Amino acid sequence: MTAASSHARFASLVRYLEHTAERLPRREAVIFKQRRVSYEELWSWACSIAAYLRRQGIEPGDRVAILMENSPEYIAAYYGALMASAVAVGLNTATKSRDIVNWLNHSQARWLFADGRHAELPLIAEKIGRGLRLVTHAEPGKPLEEMERTDWAEVLQESGEKIDLSTLDDPERLASIIYTSGTTGEPKGVVLSHGNLVANIESILEYLRLKESDSIVNVLPFYYSYGNSVLHTHIAAGGCLILENSLVYPHKVMQKIVEEKATGFSGVPSTFALLMSRTKLTDYNLSAMRYMTQAGGPMPPANVQRLTEELPHIQFFVMYGQTEACARLTYLPPERLKEKLGSAGTAIPGVEIEIRDEAGNPVPVGTKGEIWARGENIMKGYWRNPEMTQEVLRDGWLKTGDLARIDEERYIYIIGRNSDMIKVGAHRISPKEVEEVIAELEAVEEVAAVGVADEMLGQVVKAVVIRKKGAQLESKAIQRHCLNNLAQYKIPKYIEFAESLPKTASGKVKRHLL
Amino acid sequence: MSFEKTLRSFILQNFLFTDDDSALSNSDSFLERGIIDSTGILELITFIEEQIGITVEDEEMVPENLDSIDNLVRFIGSKQSKDH
Repeated sequence: MTAASSHARFASLVRYLEHTAERLPRREAVIFKQRRVSYEELWSWACSIAAYLRRQGIEPGDRVAILMENSPEYIAAYYGALMASAVAVGLNTATKSRDIVNWLNHSQARWLFADGRHAELPLIAEKIGRGLRLVTHAEPGKPLEEMERTDWAEVLQESGEKIDLSTLDDPERLASIIYTSGTTGEPKGVVLSHGNLVANIESILEYLRLKESDSIVNVLPFYYSYGNSVLHTHIAAGGCLILENSLVYPHKVMQKIVEEKATGFSGVPSTFALLMSRTKLTDYNLSAMRYMTQAGGPMPPANVQRLTEELPHIQFFVMYGQTEACARLTYLPPERLKEKLGSAGTAIPGVEIEIRDEAGNPVPVGTKGEIWARGENIMKGYWRNPEMTQEVLRDGWLKTGDLARIDEERYIYIIGRNSDMIKVGAHRISPKEVEEVIAELEAVEEVAAVGVADEMLGQVVKAVVIRKKGAQLESKAIQRHCLNNLAQYKIPKYIEFAESLPKTASGKVKRHLL
Repeated sequence: MSFEKTLRSFILQNFLFTDDDSALSNSDSFLERGIIDSTGILELITFIEEQIGITVEDEEMVPENLDSIDNLVRFIGSKQSKDH
């Protein structure tokens, strides 16, 4: 039994939903727009989806992709897939067909559960064709004749025959693939087992003290690990997920928190920066709120201070993690926030953290090095990429690529990152994703993308472009091409034209000089 | 230039990266079409406040006021008539 949740530790994520649905059938599991879905309903939907997939001949380990914004349907499809012994692959809904097709091909998904109105669906259908079966929630705008399609309502008519869940009780069984970047050459799919996710859920339940009385207004996409972790921990605790899928109107998000008397809220640094820039938090009645969590990159200490001073009754948890660790590696207990301001905290229960030098040896306290982590939550590897897996998984440890120092009490202070990844708000972008799209333009000789500082988002993308001799090309044309081919957050905010790119003797672009 | 044209031009140039007037209809929802994200809305508000000279209060930041050219025109019109 764990202290926070008073349940046995299960071997499969599905058991958590089953347990909550049995214990709290009428409890609201999800509130989305005008709809309130109970745990009983959610369980029944997941059973129907599993029955449908089984009747269609799904094999254990088959991949089921989901292209839906956060919704009760997303959750039902995810758990339904797991119940059918499949691997759930939540796909980024904000991106364009080239990434999605790339991930569908790479994961070799056999089913796609999608919002029929997704703007990229006709292009996906055209490119993928009949190799993939489509289940659509909401009527597609176009016929999508290229794909074999079943309607969501038809799937829910399947009687959720009693499925023997004991076959799922294997922590080594794969549960999920989370794609963290989308270049054509090397999509990076983080493979997580049930055991990985369960270990992380239990740790988070323990330090956040999540209970069935908790409810969260969730703005984080479930297809990323942070949102995925919010989803599973709430299901395990029997809490309620109140879904708000956009931060465009911060006032609406705050109103929802007040109306639903939410007890929790989670965000990345830009989430809090956006809320604080356009709303006065003290104008809202947040008396029901118990805690807030922040992860996804360092939040400026000034913003942490302002937030905690304005809302002194709310426990503020600073956290750090990686998709490769299911989500969470460290947390800073709120009672130590003031004295350890600027720290990303200490290892969560069940995780070990070490700071090591380039040779892989632990460094003394206060010395800069790379964060290595070990625990049951560390991924199985990257999907179909043993080389990339070997680079980061060493003797049971995850080499995170993040640089930090550690203090005498084993609290870490993150200094930077050993990679070129650009962090825009909650998103991680490989420069290559942007570069390969811009390089498609006829007039482009060479291009390099980098992240530049942005007050609100942490970073935004800048592209440095070398035009072919005599070629005409304006910034707007580059941005328009990006708009048609990339997620909005990947479009370079700044474009600079140059004569050449600074390079090392071996020809590698010196990005730090751009 | 009327503020409708000013707004259209701003959205077309900064979010759709085009001069093509047909790329946006006045009733298009910025949110549904994915034209404006959470930082884009802040850029839009700064533009309205600086170029049109009205102040957008936090509680006025709702889709009914800001989610399309039609909504913006109606909202700005009502703000201006209140000020006079």
